[in-house]
Amino acid sequence: MSTTTNGRSYKAQKVIDRMGQKLTRQMVGSLAACVHCGQCTDSCHYVLSNPGDPTFAPAYKADRIRKLFKKHYDWTGKVFPKWVKAGTVQTDEDLEELKDIVFGKCTNCRRCTINCPMGVDLATFNRMARGLLCHVGIMPEGVEYVAKEQWEIGNQMGVLKEDYIETIEWQEEELQDEMEDPNARIPVDKVNSEIVYVINPREIKHDPRSVLDAAKIFYMAGADYTMPSEGWDMTNFGLFNGDDELGGAVAGRVYDKVEELNGKKLVISECGHGYRSTRCEGPNWAKKDIAFDSESSVITMLKYIKEGKIKVDKTKNPGSYTFHDSCNNARSCGLTEEPRELLSLVVDDFREMYPNRAENYCCTGGGGAMSMAEYRPSRLKSAKVKADQLSATGTKTVVTSCHNCVDGLTDLIGHYKLGMDVTQLVNLVANALVVDEKIEENRKIHSAETSATAAQ
Amino acid sequence: MSEKKQINNSTLGVIKADITATEIDAFVFYARNDLKLGSGFGNAIALRGGPSIRKELENLGPLNVTEVVVTTAGTMKAKNIIHACGPKFQEENIEEKLKTTIQNVLKAAEANGIESIAFPPMGAGFYGVPIDLSAKITIDSIADYLAKGSEIKDVVVCGNDTREYKALVPKLQDLNKKAA
Repeated sequence: MSTTTNGRSYKAQKVIDRMGQKLTRQMVGSLAACVHCGQCTDSCHYVLSNPGDPTFAPAYKADRIRKLFKKHYDWTGKVFPKWVKAGTVQTDEDLEELKDIVFGKCTNCRRCTINCPMGVDLATFNRMARGLLCHVGIMPEGVEYVAKEQWEIGNQMGVLKEDYIETIEWQEEELQDEMEDPNARIPVDKVNSEIVYVINPREIKHDPRSVLDAAKIFYMAGADYTMPSEGWDMTNFGLFNGDDELGGAVAGRVYDKVEELNGKKLVISECGHGYRSTRCEGPNWAKKDIAFDSESSVITMLKYIKEGKIKVDKTKNPGSYTFHDSCNNARSCGLTEEPRELLSLVVDDFREMYPNRAENYCCTGGGGAMSMAEYRPSRLKSAKVKADQLSATGTKTVVTSCHNCVDGLTDLIGHYKLGMDVTQLVNLVANALVVDEKIEENRKIHSAETSATAAQ
Repeated sequence: MSEKKQINNSTLGVIKADITATEIDAFVFYARNDLKLGSGFGNAIALRGGPSIRKELENLGPLNVTEVVVTTAGTMKAKNIIHACGPKFQEENIEEKLKTTIQNVLKAAEANGIESIAFPPMGAGFYGVPIDLSAKITIDSIADYLAKGSEIKDVVVCGNDTREYKALVPKLQDLNKKAA
């Protein structure tokens, strides 16, 4: 371990230097404002599932980061350092200890944020701290693996372009079989489309059914859409590992492709952090003005039903359902009512879980936690509160609008033996589709399009 | 998307492409010290190249920073891979180490009769070298090497996306200004 002239490790010094470049006014406000009232404590699912362990308390975790700010960037830490608990990191071991807190004891779910009377946004500076550590190469192995996949392959799951295209073509064949229409297409790189549809790579790697279900909905709606051959991953690991450069690169690839295709609207499939990253944070990270509209596929599907473009029959989805709000959708983006409205249109028996909407508990797999195998036992222990919440609904199926939540919930449901299924709205909408006389119109449209393409 | 410049008997160009899918004598993989392929481009090498590359690497590591080794490229479009262990994550003397790594890649290419080679912007992306700095060092170091005369005919630097490509092009154009 190399050291600097002040005896601090080279990496520790880099972390401190970098912090100075990352302190926005929002961050400083949160670092300075905590009065240690403890209101955040009971909002954290880690605390609720580990009641005897104060090291899970948001204020305690925040102080591990706050002490650096006080020591190196705040006047109070220079005048009365002991009073304000100013402190530093001296060794690489100190950084490893910080890593276990910022990656292993918080999912950046922001539930403490909305319950803080001072508006302290722990998730924002916890993310910053993650970024400081990643900057010097200190991160969980899984974070390293996924971040490198997204930097270099272009998506979080290392799906190669040829495999992506092959999967789309496979789902196109399925679409043709199900719609009994040899001209049914899942267009790729079609220019001037009304919609450019971007997805989570999990859909290609583990759940191609979701691609097919979306294609069926677009088909029945007669939508003018395309999927892009590049820049198709709307997820963004930069949100999780605190790397704004990665965040900007990933979001920029999506935006560049929509512009290249001259798409009118970007539709983002169901994924909480993907939606937040691509629609809300991405333009800032990428330092780019976006000239096209964007929306969640939840809103697109809801519009199709309301505008009569598709018909659905809720009796096709028997059983009881509850809805899990993704933290990023609900707390960070306010997407709470549209999914419920849509769900109520495609199932008969919908029961709220409590608390819900912005107060809902994290699936406990958020913030990239599903990629960090070393923290899995702690994550699943912290999931007790979520398991109890799910169980109390008395339903058989939990619906969510987030692929990450699907995995987080599936893991905890298995661990706590709840016997519940997890599904997404796209699956329920596709299953409820009424294939009526309109399909004949669509067949004619697609036949004409195929003829026109062949003639070109 | 591509741009190129003649330097002595060689060309130096910039393209936007997936470096692991280029049809070329050799491409540079920014390798770990232990030579494990890992994720990202390493994953692409494992999937597209097959198991023989990993097998070759078993007996070649570990490497010190700036060292390089050459392997075949299995079933990939390229013939060889130059595994270059460049500096990572803000380590000390990063610019000098990057330059030495690039020189070592070019020397290894010549020693192995490699006539065309593709570089990534060295150290950019996951390993944290800012793209503008990486683009400048990569382009300038290759140009300096080729200016002394080389048997390597074609060198391209591959931007993985528009952001990288747009950072590389002005650095190539700066060479023309210097020459003028």
